[in-house]
Amino acid sequence: MDHQPTQRISLRALTLWRIYGVIQAGIILLLTIGLTVAIVLWGWPWWLWLIGAGVFLIQFLIFVWLVPKLRWRRWRYDVREQEIDLQQGLFIVTRTLVPMVRVQHVDTEQGPLLRKFRLSTISISTAATIHKIPALDEQEAERLRQSISSLARVAEDDV
Amino acid sequence: MFEPKRLHPISAIINFVKTLKDAALPLILVLVLNGNIFRGNVDWLPLLIWAGVLLLVLGSGIIRWLRFTYRMEEGELRIEYGLIFRKKRYIPIDRIQSLDFSEGIFHRPLNLVKVSVETAGSSGNEKAEAELTAIRREEADELEEAIFQEKKHKWSGYDEESDMGGEIEESPREKVYGMTMKEIIMMAITSGGAGVVISGVAVFFSQFMDLLPVGTIYNEILDWIQIGILVVAFTVLVLLLIAYAISIVMTILRYANFSVFLDADDLIITRGWLEKKQMTIPLNRIQGIKMEENLIRQPLGYASVTLISAGGSVLKNDEHQLRLLPMIKREEVSEILKKVLPDYEVVKDFHQPPKRSLVRYIFRHSWFGFAAAIPLSVFFFPYGLLSILGGVFLAVLGWMAYKDAGWNVLRDQLTLRSRGIIKQTYTMKKYRIQSSYKKQTYFQKRSGLSSIEVTLTSGNGRALAYCYYMEEKDSNHIMEWYRMKKIREKPAKV
Repeated sequence: MDHQPTQRISLRALTLWRIYGVIQAGIILLLTIGLTVAIVLWGWPWWLWLIGAGVFLIQFLIFVWLVPKLRWRRWRYDVREQEIDLQQGLFIVTRTLVPMVRVQHVDTEQGPLLRKFRLSTISISTAATIHKIPALDEQEAERLRQSISSLARVAEDDV
Repeated sequence: MFEPKRLHPISAIINFVKTLKDAALPLILVLVLNGNIFRGNVDWLPLLIWAGVLLLVLGSGIIRWLRFTYRMEEGELRIEYGLIFRKKRYIPIDRIQSLDFSEGIFHRPLNLVKVSVETAGSSGNEKAEAELTAIRREEADELEEAIFQEKKHKWSGYDEESDMGGEIEESPREKVYGMTMKEIIMMAITSGGAGVVISGVAVFFSQFMDLLPVGTIYNEILDWIQIGILVVAFTVLVLLLIAYAISIVMTILRYANFSVFLDADDLIITRGWLEKKQMTIPLNRIQGIKMEENLIRQPLGYASVTLISAGGSVLKNDEHQLRLLPMIKREEVSEILKKVLPDYEVVKDFHQPPKRSLVRYIFRHSWFGFAAAIPLSVFFFPYGLLSILGGVFLAVLGWMAYKDAGWNVLRDQLTLRSRGIIKQTYTMKKYRIQSSYKKQTYFQKRSGLSSIEVTLTSGNGRALAYCYYMEEKDSNHIMEWYRMKKIREKPAKV
């Protein structure tokens, strides 16, 4: 339990998450612009603008620069013959073990942005839970899906 | 068993009543809006419509009864039904998990039962896979027997676990547990509603005591106001008491004759007076057990034991239905479980989180209370300060949570004990755990603590058992235990 899992998700995930961050920051930016207009038009107190700009800056820093980096660095996984081992989480680091016997099915999914980056998210379902590995390389995800589903079929079942 | 069978004719009436119940509101509305019935000059048209609807409902009930047939054919339970569109539902016997019987007030005098067919896949759905509204008890038993035979025929490696037990000759069901009336009454009195009532009574008496020296009546107006409050308080109190009494009576009616039987591979729970319920839980569907002790029952030494079972849709709606031992002295749990589920062992000694987690527990439970107390204290100044007491209460709860947290690994069995408000002890087998998590924040890493969570399948999705802030090496130990391969630790025989 001491060593982390070895596999990492695709580096392109970093770019993808940064784009998500930029989109979020864009929304905040629009709000700030709206605020500016309100300040100019109706003479709202000027310090409101400072707050708006501050929020935008912080949000930009955190969600475009910091969070994707940390998230990517934390995300590790391993698919072994008997189990799937995941590690994720920004502040709360979660280590998840899913025995192969428990796996019921595996899906891969791909939204338009993910497709653009040739990435794909894999979700592994047990009878009770769904575990996702986000933003894997398309081919890697495909390979993983097949290997998990064949491993899961081999593993003896006892539910 | 091959010829199509009908339900008992009474099911037409049951259908009728059921539809009527659903449609009651609009019908009553029509009656009320057509208010001049009572004044003599009756407007006949709405009444006629009303009667027409009634006839239609009755008719549809009868037709639905006529159309509904069921039979066993080619290893399937075949049901055909439908008022306008004919529908056929064929359920392979293999997939049938259990038949649950229940008897309503219509069923009792005629010795009929309602049969719900539960399949492995029906956990997600709202309703049972199929329902036979009313058939004679002998027919129901016949059906059960036929399904049993059919399964026995087919079973080869489909479900080895049950097959292992298949050698057991069809044994008469053995009663393993019965609830005494005293326990049922204790349970009814200490049910969740009790807390509300007790605090209601307390508030009332605190008011009442203030008002008691009524002898000094020199400000009559003030007194009148206060009496007004008294009347309101009294009414509320009476209403609460009535609600409480009703809930007690309901609980007694529902749990009367509560008994648990063991029948080869199934656990059978029967209960109820007016409406008898019987539930069958295949032993191999049981995922784990949960013992709960709430704040009222714990000091009295009582606990309740719930089964976590995969599948079974009736189980979903009513959490009480899965209670294996609804109200039991804590010391007796172990002994009874030994009879019912000998695989599971009730452990006494737990490994506990270290001293340094105490602060975290208290903080975890009470930060919200204290945070909420700040605005409350500021905005409602003198009285708002009382809200700090809420925070203190939560802090005490956090301390209790620390005391109660613990884990135990015994061969292939994991026991996790924790408290949110209710103290919960989950006991489960390794091969039933769906996934396991180890969680750790940055600060916990620095002080060498981490938390463990494991998931089980249960009728309504999943059950989560946890133990927070334990020594990191302990949680590593549990993760290793969970990972460790599996030298056929499943018992050879159930």
